Amino acid sequence: MIRLLTLIAVIGFSFGCVLGGKAPAEDDAISPPVDFNRDVRPIFNQHCVACHGGVKQAGGLSFVYADSVLAVIDPGSSEDSYLMERVLLPADEEEHMPPSDHGRSLNAAEIDILKRWIDGGGQWGKHWAFTQPQRAEPRSLESDPWSRTRIDPFVLDKMKQQGLAPQVDADPEEWLRRASLDLTGLPPTPERVDAFLADVRHNGEDAYRVATDDFLASPAFGERWASVWLDVIRYADSRGLGLDGRRTIWQFRDWVIRAFNQDMPYDQFTVRQLAGDLLPDRTLDDLLATACHRTTQTNEEGGTDDETFRTEAVMDRVNTTWQAWQGVSFGCVQCHSHPYDPIEHKEYYQFLAFFNNTADSDLGNDLPTLAVPVDHDQFDEAFQLDEQADQLWLNEWRRARELVKDDELWKPISDLELSTNNNTRVVAATVAGVAEYQTTGTVQTRTKVHINGTVDESIEQITALRFTGFPKNEQQALIDSEWGFIVSHLAAKLISQDGTETAIQFEQVISDEPDPLLQPNESLNPKSNHGFGPYSRIHHPRSGAFLANPPVQVKPGDRLDVEIAFNDVELGAFPLIAHRGRIAVSQSGGFTEWLTDAPRVAAREQIAALRRQRASIRSINTPILIERPQQFARPSRVFDRGNQTTKTDPVDPAIPAFLATPSVEPDASLTRLQMAEWLISPDNPLTARVAVNRFWAQLFGTGIVETQEDFGIAGAPPTHPRLLDDLAVRFRAEMGWSVKTLLRELVLSSTYRQSAEVDAKRYEIDPANRWLSRGPRGRLPAETIRDQALFIAGLLSEKQFGPPVHPPLPDGVWKPFQGGDKWATVDPNNPDRYRRTIYTYTKRSIPYPMMASFDAPSREFCSMRRLPSNTPTQALMTLNDATFVEASQALAGRMIAADDDVDQQLRYGFRLATCRQPQQAESVAIRELYDSILQKHDGEEPNQQAAMTAVASVLLNLDEVLTK
Amino acid sequence: MSSIEQRLAGEVFTRSLQFETRRHFLQQSAAGLGAAWLASQAGAVSASPSAGGLGAIAAKAKRVIFLHMIGAPSQLELFDYKPALHEVDGKDCPAEYLEGNRFAFIQGTPKMLGPRYPFQQYGDSGAWVSDRLPHFSKVVDKVCFVKSMQTDQFNHGPAQLMVHCGQSRVGYPSIGSWVTWGLGSESEDLPGFIVLLSGGRQPRVGKALWSSGFLPSVYQGVQCRSKGDPVLNVSNPSGVSRDERRLALDTLDRLNQMNYETFGDPETLTRMKQYELAFRMQTAVPDAMDISQETKETHEEYGTEPGKESFANNCLLARRLAERGVRFIQLFDWGWDSHGTNEGESLGKGLSKKCMQTDRPMTALLNDLERRGMLDDTLVVWSGEFGRTSMAENRGGQATRFHGRDHNPNAFTLWMAGGGIRPGMTYGATDELGYQIAESPVHLRDFHATMQHLLGIDHRKMVFPFQGLDQKLTGVKPARVVDEILL
Repeated sequence: MIRLLTLIAVIGFSFGCVLGGKAPAEDDAISPPVDFNRDVRPIFNQHCVACHGGVKQAGGLSFVYADSVLAVIDPGSSEDSYLMERVLLPADEEEHMPPSDHGRSLNAAEIDILKRWIDGGGQWGKHWAFTQPQRAEPRSLESDPWSRTRIDPFVLDKMKQQGLAPQVDADPEEWLRRASLDLTGLPPTPERVDAFLADVRHNGEDAYRVATDDFLASPAFGERWASVWLDVIRYADSRGLGLDGRRTIWQFRDWVIRAFNQDMPYDQFTVRQLAGDLLPDRTLDDLLATACHRTTQTNEEGGTDDETFRTEAVMDRVNTTWQAWQGVSFGCVQCHSHPYDPIEHKEYYQFLAFFNNTADSDLGNDLPTLAVPVDHDQFDEAFQLDEQADQLWLNEWRRARELVKDDELWKPISDLELSTNNNTRVVAATVAGVAEYQTTGTVQTRTKVHINGTVDESIEQITALRFTGFPKNEQQALIDSEWGFIVSHLAAKLISQDGTETAIQFEQVISDEPDPLLQPNESLNPKSNHGFGPYSRIHHPRSGAFLANPPVQVKPGDRLDVEIAFNDVELGAFPLIAHRGRIAVSQSGGFTEWLTDAPRVAAREQIAALRRQRASIRSINTPILIERPQQFARPSRVFDRGNQTTKTDPVDPAIPAFLATPSVEPDASLTRLQMAEWLISPDNPLTARVAVNRFWAQLFGTGIVETQEDFGIAGAPPTHPRLLDDLAVRFRAEMGWSVKTLLRELVLSSTYRQSAEVDAKRYEIDPANRWLSRGPRGRLPAETIRDQALFIAGLLSEKQFGPPVHPPLPDGVWKPFQGGDKWATVDPNNPDRYRRTIYTYTKRSIPYPMMASFDAPSREFCSMRRLPSNTPTQALMTLNDATFVEASQALAGRMIAADDDVDQQLRYGFRLATCRQPQQAESVAIRELYDSILQKHDGEEPNQQAAMTAVASVLLNLDEVLTK
Repeated sequence: MSSIEQRLAGEVFTRSLQFETRRHFLQQSAAGLGAAWLASQAGAVSASPSAGGLGAIAAKAKRVIFLHMIGAPSQLELFDYKPALHEVDGKDCPAEYLEGNRFAFIQGTPKMLGPRYPFQQYGDSGAWVSDRLPHFSKVVDKVCFVKSMQTDQFNHGPAQLMVHCGQSRVGYPSIGSWVTWGLGSESEDLPGFIVLLSGGRQPRVGKALWSSGFLPSVYQGVQCRSKGDPVLNVSNPSGVSRDERRLALDTLDRLNQMNYETFGDPETLTRMKQYELAFRMQTAVPDAMDISQETKETHEEYGTEPGKESFANNCLLARRLAERGVRFIQLFDWGWDSHGTNEGESLGKGLSKKCMQTDRPMTALLNDLERRGMLDDTLVVWSGEFGRTSMAENRGGQATRFHGRDHNPNAFTLWMAGGGIRPGMTYGATDELGYQIAESPVHLRDFHATMQHLLGIDHRKMVFPFQGLDQKLTGVKPARVVDEILL
């Protein structure tokens, strides 16, 4: 059989050569060397990986991993390679690869490539994007007359290869409008255009540099570029799933705007957002930056499981981080190894472990939050107050906690008599020698557990009471957490044998973590449902101590009587009750000292004073990332086939092997901060490439890698690989990650300076302008379309920052599931009606119609690019929507006020809208419209306004105006 | 067509199709499929994937009318008759029903709850229907009941997304988007995918249920309203007459044409075309949405009252839109979540009221489509997002004030009619107590595959590359066309 196979292989091989039409010797001489990535991998991807890939590895073979393929090739000898044997079998043989029901057989050219690849040693090539980018050595700028900046020779050479030549430079005003819209999201005023034209006449090229610097320095710059990032990081002012209630997180949006305006280097921009809370010298701004990953969806629907949706949010953080910073689709690895890229299933969960220990847990109140001052100037002051108070409290808490933890100081109560106030049943049990209560059967909401027990004989006074709540199943809870508990209220009294009752007055509750989500002292307030406890999930036993003041004397035979109210219900369905609980008491004088000693009292008063001072700084609570205390960490495990209810192997945080560097070896102690630093390290091949490509795509319409979201093997290859790499290396190393420096270079390039005019030949060769033989032209983004209309009309407010605003909305759109979420449209004399679009309230389930219509994503998930559409609803929007009607009316007013002469008025309007002078035919067309409408309104007043409004509406709807 | 359109049509389509075809051929891009809808409207060769072949399946259905009862109606009170459940009414739920199952609201051990209404068999097919649907029970022979539907999700938001997008998360295209992306629209001047709401509230995840997800946004569902502007911004601003608008658009067209002659960007031509289409929509949409044109008999049959927002009005609108060639008509009717926590959401008055509101119009819709010869190529689907439990709800550990049931993803009933579906049959069955599937389970992805099959689409072949995967409505797990229920 083997002989037969070999024979067939030889025949097949010769056949291939005959088809190829070349003798092998000639072939070797003429053919370019086989490049694994360019030539071989596409064959594997097209024909093999469906069955032998990352997901399905039929026969244990995967064409995604080099070591797996080594089993079927004999490097240096295609004849001895099993792979070739199977490929070369006649197509009707059962063993033929690929199988006939999968697809066609490999053709002669493909077989030839495989053969030459194996004969040449079968070198496996790492996918281009996973190797280090290299700085290129381009031709000098002087070597051609066209290039102005370093990017131009790269572009010119590619253009020529396609048989294209550069387009002429755009008129100065065309460039100015394009650069202004790209950099600031707003067009230049006619005055700005005039000044620029004069500057060009006097100073030539320098005028372009000056104008660019002006745009980059404009406060509008940050508002324009923040929008791009907010798509990526899926920012919204609502919570998504379930009720989609309002979420107050707009100060993060402002953080992004400030970051762009300050030209925060992209490396810092990265680390602060992903791990600002872990920076050793963190600031309030750094904490606020971590809200980036609190923009994930939460589910407030009744009866939904917090842990399910917390996990969904954590997975989204993983996927978004990979998509946004690495351009790698990581989402598919949550169920199985990556179908194309060398990422194994387990590696997903190792990476997830970086994010799995933040304190947030899908709570409807968005906890944990940070009180962020409304006035940015007060950030430092507020932060110092927080730091001082936190540090002082930590010291105090530790003193108390030492006592709480010391089991020598505690005696459990025993001989429990139990009851509840409702149908919930509790039974006494002894576990490891300690008495406890346990719930059994169906548990009702608002249960009060009543515990009556004997106090140990050794106890003469009670200075503190400790409650410890346990998961029902301690081992399993570490894997699948249970619903947690909140001690809404705890009251205790001593009952002596003669029936005398002595109530114990508690003054302070000491939790087992210094800064829990809910204030533990709320357990002393009978009117509050909040208090001490693991909110809202429990993995570990949790204990809190209630300190008595004054201490209560215990007489022999006294029984302790405790009532614990568990009143909180999560999501209308889940009672937050401790299903197992133990009570212990202490007579340690340490607690009394902690409560009453002068230095302790003074410290607490100082803390209170600091907190009061802090509270006087007007602030708004914003969700942020905060790490849970290490002792209560959530253990991370692999989810079998992505199903979070079936957890398998435990994992520690790690970077996937294909991108790992020595500084991030897998280790339980690797932190989110180290992960963020790995992203921006010089060894990371993707971060700079992906960032540069995103900025490029915003200016030129398409990325150098068209699939901005996928730099992996299934993504599109770069059109200009050397340029991309050169820019990436320089962005990191030479520009110091400065976005403004990068954008400056791009808009000043000859590539960007070209006219957007396209003739038949250019269109025929390059319809999508991937080879850049003309200037970029494309429909403006949604925000810019609205902002520009308001700007041209003279309506746009320059006010920056602040809570989301509510511009006009068509009737019938606002029907939120939660009736309380009101859209209060501001009236026309309030400038908030005309703020930049980035400040509009972004509700995920009811996107602002203007945004949805013009292709803005609704921000549920990371979105790396908007696919532009061209639809009739867009036309209806810009013709009839209230904002555009008001803009037309205001523009008409501006035109009428500009001059006494109608033709001058029309000309002025045209310039406002297009930034250029109208041509004769254009002036005629507009005048004719004006006159016809005027005639229709003959005898009415004010007919001039009606006619001019019609013209203004046409101007705002010009293709040229909607396009850059 | 106006003269402007005639002039435009040729050039737009030649150029954009050259471009699109080239892109498809080269398989360079996932984007830029916006021409699919356009192309089909002009009767030109489609640039959508149908040109490349979505699988050689003869389409039985040309369009879909999907009636989604938001909140999940109780199959046990409507179609899935379980006499054995009577016997165990009030008894503790058997442990095997609870082990390994998670519930939205049920705690501990709930009680079983018998059917709340009497059932009877109807028609030649002998289909069981409860006394809540007296009209519908007369047309059961037109209908195929699938009593073995299953889903993965037991909360409303994710489950509704499963029904419409095949995924429990937001951000994926809905069925209507997939279908219009694949097949385009047959209407010259209406959107191909229209959404109508009733019941007083929006579905909780809102527009995500008719989102185009990662498909081009032109394929998102367009919500039409029975009150106010039927489509956003379809009316001219006050003071602007249609004549004046025409004058303005003529000028806009002239100016855009000049700009096109300078820059040569084919997108300019497409935009000019869209403005013309918008102008036509301004009359076509209000005309389609104006049910006052219908006869008195029709109004009586459907129970419609012009000017109101009701399921009845929406059923009649669905027929009018279907007549005009709209490909996918999606109705959502809110208010079927019979937990029993209040009277409106109980199996008593609450469910009865919803049945009253929907029984007559959905029956009228089937009869009307049949009379007009449209039922053969119109697929009508009625469904919730999951079923309801055989146990009574005991939220917070106590019996609810009114009779109610919790969410049950394991079993629910859906019915279909027309469009190549075998009429007068029941497929699949639940166990004795109506809690789990006893025979022939049909997962939502099988339903999706079947629906696509009826439209002439092979569910395995209609794919769109996104996030490294060839995405499809039926997802990554295998899906099956339920041949047994096809004509």
